[in-house]
Amino acid sequence: MSEEMKSQDSDNDSELEESDHMDDDDDYGGYYDNDTGDLDIDKPKKSDDPEYFEYELLEIEDVERFLNEEVEVLHSTLQIQPGLAKMLLLAHGWRKDYIIDRCKKEPDRLLIDSRLMPERKVTEQIFGNSAICSVCLLRRPQDYFYSLSCGHSFCGECWDEFCQVRIQQGVTTGIECMAKDCNILVPEDFLCSVMQKPELRDRYSQLSFSDHVKSHPDLRFCPGANCPIIVRAPVCKAKKVECSRCKTTFCFKCGIEYHAPTDCDVIKKWLTKCADDSETANYISAHTKDCPKCHVCIEKNGGCNHMQCSKCKYDFCWMCLGDWKTHGSEYYECSRYKENPNIANESVHAQAREALKKYLFYFERWENHAKSLQLEEQTLHKITSRIHEKVMNNTGTWIDWQYLLDAAHLLKKCRYTLQYTYPYAYYMEKSARKQLFEYQQAQLEAEVENLSWKVERAEITDRGDLENQMDIAEKRRQTLLKDFLEF
Amino acid sequence: MAATRRLQKELSDIRKSENNILKNIQVDDSNILLWQGLLVPENPPYNKGAFKIQIDFPAEYPFKPPKITFKTKIYHPNIDEKGQVCLPIISAENWKPATKTDQVLQALASLINDPEPEHPLRADLAEEFTKDKKKFMKNAEEFTKKYSEKRPID
Repeated sequence: MSEEMKSQDSDNDSELEESDHMDDDDDYGGYYDNDTGDLDIDKPKKSDDPEYFEYELLEIEDVERFLNEEVEVLHSTLQIQPGLAKMLLLAHGWRKDYIIDRCKKEPDRLLIDSRLMPERKVTEQIFGNSAICSVCLLRRPQDYFYSLSCGHSFCGECWDEFCQVRIQQGVTTGIECMAKDCNILVPEDFLCSVMQKPELRDRYSQLSFSDHVKSHPDLRFCPGANCPIIVRAPVCKAKKVECSRCKTTFCFKCGIEYHAPTDCDVIKKWLTKCADDSETANYISAHTKDCPKCHVCIEKNGGCNHMQCSKCKYDFCWMCLGDWKTHGSEYYECSRYKENPNIANESVHAQAREALKKYLFYFERWENHAKSLQLEEQTLHKITSRIHEKVMNNTGTWIDWQYLLDAAHLLKKCRYTLQYTYPYAYYMEKSARKQLFEYQQAQLEAEVENLSWKVERAEITDRGDLENQMDIAEKRRQTLLKDFLEF
Repeated sequence: MAATRRLQKELSDIRKSENNILKNIQVDDSNILLWQGLLVPENPPYNKGAFKIQIDFPAEYPFKPPKITFKTKIYHPNIDEKGQVCLPIISAENWKPATKTDQVLQALASLINDPEPEHPLRADLAEEFTKDKKKFMKNAEEFTKKYSEKRPID
C-alpha cells in the first residue's frame, strides 16, 4: 500500500462519524484537504504507464497539409511530379526513406512494383488518322485516344465513362487501365484530363483523401459515427485513443474498441469466434438465475457479480453460483478455467465437448462483464440523478459528491479491462505465464467486484473506504497491464 | 448507345466463330441486354448434358460487368442452388471494359470443366470434391442425367 493511501486512511477516520448522517449535514470540512489529483482516471500521463500513448487529434485540413508536406519531401528529394510522389507514397505505406532508397537503386523496378509502369509496354500503333476504340467499337480520330504508361489506347469518352462508373462505385486511387489483365493505375492528372464532369472531381478528392489516410500508418480516422477527426500518432501501436469530439475510445492500431491486454489479432480472432458461435452461446444470455440456496428466482439488475439473495440473504457469485466467501480471498478461482489434464487421450467427441466447454467458460465471463458494464452505465445515471437531487436539496455541492462519479467511472474502466482479459486468457498456452496472468486476473476480478458492491451502495459506504477500494482496484489493473500489455 | 453497338458486334462474332462455347444463343430483338444459351462442357461428369445459362448485361455495359446465372440445376462446387456463379473475371472489382464476352465464356467453361474447390459457393460439394472424388463424380453424373438439357447436335 502506498503512502497516499495511508493518508487517505487517516482521512477515513475523521469522516467515519460524519458518513452516517451525511444527508442531513452540510459540514464537510475535511473534504477540501483531500487531494483528488491522484484519482484522475481519464488519461494516462506518466511514461511508465503501460497505457500511455502520445497522439494528436487533427481536422481534415491539418491532415491535408501534413500529407502534402510528405509529398513535397519526395517531390524535392527525387525531383519527381507531386502526383507521382503521392502514388508512390500510397503504394508503399508512406515510407519515404524506403522509396527514396529504392528509387536511387532500381527506379524501374520500383515503378513496376507500384503499378505505375508495365513489365512490357504494348505497341498498339494507330495507323492513319483514325482507329477503332476496342471498348465502344467506334472509329475515332487519332487525337481522341489516350493511354497510360502501358500503352493500351482507348478513346477519351470511354475513359471518361469508365472513371465515372468507378468513382460512383467508390474506387479512386485503385482505378486501373481498361485492358484485360493490365493492372496499371490511373493517375489523378490523367483522370482530370479525361473527365468532363467536374461534379465527380469533388467525390474523387474526398474518396482518394480517405484512401491516403487509411494507407498512412500514423493516421487513423476516428471510428465515431460521422466524426471528421483524424488521429495522428508518431508510432502505430495498439493503444487507447479517445476522441475529444465524439468521445469514442478505440485502439489506434486496429481502429476497433480498445482491447488491452489482448492484442489486435487475438481480439479479432475472438470476436469472429464469438460471432460464429453466437447460436451456441445464446442459451447463457438469460438475465435470471435461481438462488443456489433457497432457489428463488433472481434477476440481475446491477453490474456487481457479488449477489445477495433478497429472500434468504445468501451471498453468492453470479458467475459460478458458489459461495461468495471463497471469492474474497487469494483463492479466487472463479475466473480460472480448469482444463482436463488427460484430454489428449480422450475421444474426439470428448475433445470437442471439452473445447466447447472451455470456450463457453471464457465467453460467459466475457459476456457477463459486458452486461455488467451496461448495467453499471445505469448505476452511473442513477448516481448522477441522486447527486442532482442532493445538490438541489442543499445536501452538499456538486463537487462534494464528485467522488461518487469518479468511483463509478473507475469501476467501468476496471471492468472494461477485466472483460478484455478473458479473450487473452482463452488463447494463452498453458504455462507459468498463464498462471501468473490468471492470478492477476483473479485479483482484479475480486477487487472489481468489491468496488462494484461498494459503488452500488455508495451512499452508505464510507467515502474513505470507497476511495481505498478505487485505489486498490486501479492498482490491480495497472499491475496486470504492466506485466502483460506490450509497451 | 455504347452497350447496344458493342453487344451486337460481340453477338455476331460469337455466332460466326467455329468453336463457340455457347450454343443456341437466343436474344430477344427488343432487348439485346439479355442473352440465353446452352453451355456444353467437355469434361466429365458434365459432358453428358447441356446447361442453360443466362447473361444479363447492365445498361452501363461495357463499363460494368455482365451477370451470369445457371437456369439448369448443376452439381458443382462453384455454382449455388440459385444458379449464381462466382467468376472473378466479371466481379465488380476485377471487371475490365475491354474484356470480351467470348473471354468471359471461356473463363466460365474452364471453371465448369475444372471446379475450383478452394473458393466454393457450396462448401458441402467442395468438401466432397476434395475428400471423396469418386462419390462426387457419381453424384454429379446422376444429377446431370436427371436435370441437364439435351446437348444440341452440331
